[in-house]
Amino acid sequence: MSDMHTEVLILGGGPGGYTAAFRAADLGKQVTLVERYPVIGGVCLNVGCIPSKALLHLAHIIHEAEAAESHGLSFGKPKIDLDKVRGWKESVSKALNTGLAGLAKQRNIKIVQGLGTFESASSMLVEGNDGKQVITFDDVIIAAGSQATQIPVFPNDDPRLWDSTDALELKEIPKKLLIVGGGIIGLEMATVYDALGSEISVVELMDQIIPGCDSDLVRPLHKRIKKQYKNIWLETKVEGIKALKSGLKVSFSGDKAPESETFDAVLIAVGRRPNGFKVGADKAGIEVDDMGFIQVNEQQKTNVEHIYAIGDIVGNPMLAHKASHEGKVAAEVISGEKSAFDALTIPAVAFTDPEITWMGLTENEAKKQGIEYDKGTFPWAASGRSLSLGRNEGLTKIICEKETGRVLGAGMVGPNAGELISEAVLALEMGADAEDIGLTVHAHPSLSETFAFAAEVVTGSITDLYIKKR
Amino acid sequence: MSELIEIKIPDLGGADEVEIVEILVQTGDAVEQEQTLAVMESDKATMDLPANMAGTIQDIIIKVGDKVSQGTLVAMLRPSAADSSATEAVAEEKPAEQAAKVEAPKAEPVKQQPAATKAIAVSEPVASIGKAHATPSVRLFARELGVDLAKISQGTGRKGRILKEDVQAFVKKVMTEGVAQSGGVGISPIPEVDFSQFGETEVKPLGKIKRLTGDHMVRVCLNLPMVTQHDEADITEMEDFRKAHNGSKPEYKLTGLVFIIKALTAALKQFPQFNSSLSADGQSLIYKKYTNVGIAVETPNGLVVPVIRDAEQKSLNELSAALIDLSGKARDGKLPPAAMQGGSMSISSLGGIGGTAFTPIVNAPEVAILGVSRAKMQPVWNGKEFVPRLMLPLDLTYDHRVIDGAEAARFLVAITQSLGDIRRLLL
Repeated sequence: MSDMHTEVLILGGGPGGYTAAFRAADLGKQVTLVERYPVIGGVCLNVGCIPSKALLHLAHIIHEAEAAESHGLSFGKPKIDLDKVRGWKESVSKALNTGLAGLAKQRNIKIVQGLGTFESASSMLVEGNDGKQVITFDDVIIAAGSQATQIPVFPNDDPRLWDSTDALELKEIPKKLLIVGGGIIGLEMATVYDALGSEISVVELMDQIIPGCDSDLVRPLHKRIKKQYKNIWLETKVEGIKALKSGLKVSFSGDKAPESETFDAVLIAVGRRPNGFKVGADKAGIEVDDMGFIQVNEQQKTNVEHIYAIGDIVGNPMLAHKASHEGKVAAEVISGEKSAFDALTIPAVAFTDPEITWMGLTENEAKKQGIEYDKGTFPWAASGRSLSLGRNEGLTKIICEKETGRVLGAGMVGPNAGELISEAVLALEMGADAEDIGLTVHAHPSLSETFAFAAEVVTGSITDLYIKKR
Repeated sequence: MSELIEIKIPDLGGADEVEIVEILVQTGDAVEQEQTLAVMESDKATMDLPANMAGTIQDIIIKVGDKVSQGTLVAMLRPSAADSSATEAVAEEKPAEQAAKVEAPKAEPVKQQPAATKAIAVSEPVASIGKAHATPSVRLFARELGVDLAKISQGTGRKGRILKEDVQAFVKKVMTEGVAQSGGVGISPIPEVDFSQFGETEVKPLGKIKRLTGDHMVRVCLNLPMVTQHDEADITEMEDFRKAHNGSKPEYKLTGLVFIIKALTAALKQFPQFNSSLSADGQSLIYKKYTNVGIAVETPNGLVVPVIRDAEQKSLNELSAALIDLSGKARDGKLPPAAMQGGSMSISSLGGIGGTAFTPIVNAPEVAILGVSRAKMQPVWNGKEFVPRLMLPLDLTYDHRVIDGAEAARFLVAITQSLGDIRRLLL
């Protein structure tokens, strides 16, 4: 057992952890990163955002090739070499792993592999393959993330019962796949396995898929996948899962619940749980709430002066781009800078087909809070760019403060919508109003134009639609 | 209806009998704050007379051709409704009036997301209309300077957006107004004067020590009721001894100052209330069991006061050594902050330069300071005749909350007696 000391210790090598490590090192700190897996990048890079995007890319090609047939372009039925697809997906993650390792090395960041838990408020025990060691530190940033929520009564040891990591492993293409949870992760995996040939059923407890998102943005996706998938059961609960030889027999409950049905695989995608209970927080005196979240202030500080926490473990939304920004704040505060996390919004994107994205205030939330707003929506059926992609279901929406026209929120649904949201986030952070956006020249023909058009609907200067004056 | 407010000629930077050359408003006109009411002309420059608040002109007292000076009544103004709540304060309380204006309309549109829907409120930002209209980089800049953007009512950017320059201007405003207000006595700041109108000028920023000293002096002057007591010590014999000693080529040559330090420590022992500080709430006196003497040292960067620790336990030679060490470090700018803290009383000696008396300012939280002017050979009546004696003028400024005049007189007499006969220091 060897002992070492470091100025800044980072627990967890995901997007939050490595960003914090890099920033702290760039600000002159001596940094040690503890990561349980042999590679850094965390869930996002290894079993989350990145590999899923690689598979979604292939899924989109399959769908587009199918669609092209009705436009006079035939490729025939795709041949899928699953080993090769898996290999390619892994090569994408590996390229990024290697890149990150290089960035860490250039900054002289020491990476210690092993499972880290607090021994006290100033030391951490790291248990790795090579034995145990204790690392003492001046400051520490907890970036230990979250894990997929398991439901204890389900046969979780059965290899046919998947979480998102299993689904991304791409071991096989099940004939009949049930996805429990109609949120972003579940629907992205549905998109992949649908394209690869599985018969998809989705079951969701709430009254819409992607709960929390405005229903007008969800509708085009729902309409499209309703045709593609076998079933979408809303307001339905999974009562039980029985492991049979022939498959997993799933029973449902609720007013609209179907009969029990047997599936070849079931993906549980009902959310993620923070790892707050797994880091030995009590030994360091760090407060963890009932959910497992560690409470922090806007400087990412926990209740213990020199202990910081970032990313999934401090709260929703559990998104990499939130974690990395928080990581920078923590590293900067430790280095004596007056940083604080004061972003006005964190954008959300579902990389489904069509993609759905939103930021700032949703219409649901505006109504709930009684905020007076003006809404501008622009249907992509009037966008030349969208029609020339063979798609007409998209929609861009902007929500502005009634009195000043200032942007409060925005959302888009349609192919590549995820790339459009950043302009809306920038507009919000800059305090732009609908007029500013309408007066900004957008390239034609582009999908990004639709954001300016939606703003022009608010200001009443739209010419690409005809809206009768009331 | 709100009360009428007098508009008077402000400080004209020393100019007197300035002629009114133009009047731009009439009785009954509504005017904005800062709107020019009249134009004045001195033999050197033309100046605008701005309204110090918005309102309606009720009566114009001056006419074109009048000669006016600071304080001359110009007009009566009825403040507009929006300002009526602040009428009593008039110009002096402008910042408070603005703050009130900012906060009232802001409070309403701020809508907080219900806490119950979110696991952690702080980590999940929500676009709120109540947030300041400023870009992320300006918000960062404000955070670095500790500026609350909600206090800046209107930015100068497009559509009222708060720019970096607005944050800088706000800080500047607070800095210039803040000093006068720190004592809580509501003294209006000294008006800004454009000196370049009188001839060529050059602006050089004050050094850090000068600025800190300035803040400290203003604080002390506003917080302490100070009195200065003057006396003279007969140091003829002390000087004879000192010169004789220095003539014997000792390791340390003695200066007059070390004798004064010695006499001061003896007096502090005899009068412990001079070696004390008032508690922060002013309800009790904290007596110090140590005797550390601060010595004001002039350096190229400004005034610093290093402290000689346990001065009462040091011999004259040791005091000399400590003095050389500290003043050397002070002039080289190498004094650690700790070396300038913990004083019992301070000495400000100008004797090497000249002067017959001065009124030093107490180095609070100490309660007294001893000033030393230049010793002079004087005819002194010994009861039978005038004899030439070397007399040293001493000035004792004290905090009258802690020390009474009689105590100060006794304290200073004790010091003059010690210096008059240094054998007393052995007692």
